[in-house]
Amino acid sequence: MKILDEKEPGLLKWAVRGDEQAFLVLYRKHQAPLYRYALRMTGSPWAAEEVVQEVFLLLIREPQKFQPDRGELGAFLFGVTRNRVMKHLERRPREDSLDEMNANGNVWREPQDPLTPMMIAEKSERIEQVREAVLELPAEFREAIVLCELEEMSYEEAAQACGCPVGTIRSRLHRGRALLLAKLELLRDAPRRAGAGAK
Amino acid sequence: MKKVIKLMSCEQFELLGLDMDRPDAQPEEVAAAGEHAANCARCFAMLESWRELKQDLRLLHEHTLLESAPTRVEMRLKQELRTRRETRVPRSAVAIATWALATAAALAAAIGWMHWREGGSNHTDAATLQVAAVARDNAEPTLDASLLTADYDSGEFTQLPGSMPTASADESVLQARVQRGALVQFGLPVAPEQAAEWVDVDFLVAEDGQPLAVRLHQDASSESVTQ
Repeated sequence: MKILDEKEPGLLKWAVRGDEQAFLVLYRKHQAPLYRYALRMTGSPWAAEEVVQEVFLLLIREPQKFQPDRGELGAFLFGVTRNRVMKHLERRPREDSLDEMNANGNVWREPQDPLTPMMIAEKSERIEQVREAVLELPAEFREAIVLCELEEMSYEEAAQACGCPVGTIRSRLHRGRALLLAKLELLRDAPRRAGAGAK
Repeated sequence: MKKVIKLMSCEQFELLGLDMDRPDAQPEEVAAAGEHAANCARCFAMLESWRELKQDLRLLHEHTLLESAPTRVEMRLKQELRTRRETRVPRSAVAIATWALATAAALAAAIGWMHWREGGSNHTDAATLQVAAVARDNAEPTLDASLLTADYDSGEFTQLPGSMPTASADESVLQARVQRGALVQFGLPVAPEQAAEWVDVDFLVAEDGQPLAVRLHQDASSESVTQ
């Protein structure tokens, strides 16, 4: 179909006129990274879902807010997502527990690699600890870790996404790493210390 | 231009050393950080801890790589899109209807104006024709004219054409001084040369204001005799 050959601003025009196919092309292209970012920042699948929905509703209702001459649609959507996430974090500092995430079924997937159940359990525990530690970081350091380490963006890309200089991103990442290391050492050493104390 | 770091301090390593595994790291920085870590046990331990953490972060990244918004979000957005599309159709219909109504109103006004103009000229023509016809009739005295003449003489009201004699007590007499030509409007014959003359007239007016009969005053009767 001809619509699919259009570039993003063209697709957006079709979508705003009510073309479902054009909208779905845009949605399916951008929703996953936005959702992951929101999920990693908020730690709540519910909040991430809400954020993604709000972002695309804004695109449907107020498409004029996206100006192609100012940048790519992806960058615009990320900016809106980031604002929503920050508002969410200001409103309610991490209320949702990790148990809720597990119960929801959206976050965890059973790994498909050929590991023994013991290894799988260990791996899951480590991942959970990292996730917990990341979520406990202050928002600005967490964002730097999410973008540069989890989303594997370059410093330039992360700086562009956050609207700050590369030096700021590097500095935040440095602080974030240090905090993360300290938290994980504390988490991983606690059982060892408890075990040593019991003996 | 980037400063080439040959020997890295512990502070510099803390800032730059952990980036040595990144694909976008500067080769000079990587070499300097590697050299520092090889000679500093504290920084080496930190690098090892970071590499361990980096592995865990990679695991987390891989586990969440395929995560995406639930399908229900897509469904809700599609629904929103459909709702907007459906509401947009009536809006356009309303706009079309508004334009159609406005056009119809303008058309009706134009036609009405044209009719009014035609009607006005026809009315004038009709009055002229009527006066002329009456004048023609007056040239040869008719029954109406003789009746009117007789009525003047008797001082009785002459029934106006198209009105029925009634015995109602609500009738009233209206006295007026009019130009003789105005009597044409009531169906009375008037000679064109006398149309400008002023005469005193009594109208017998029904309850609804409609004139039923007319009577010329006795003193004017001699002048009002149609010819």
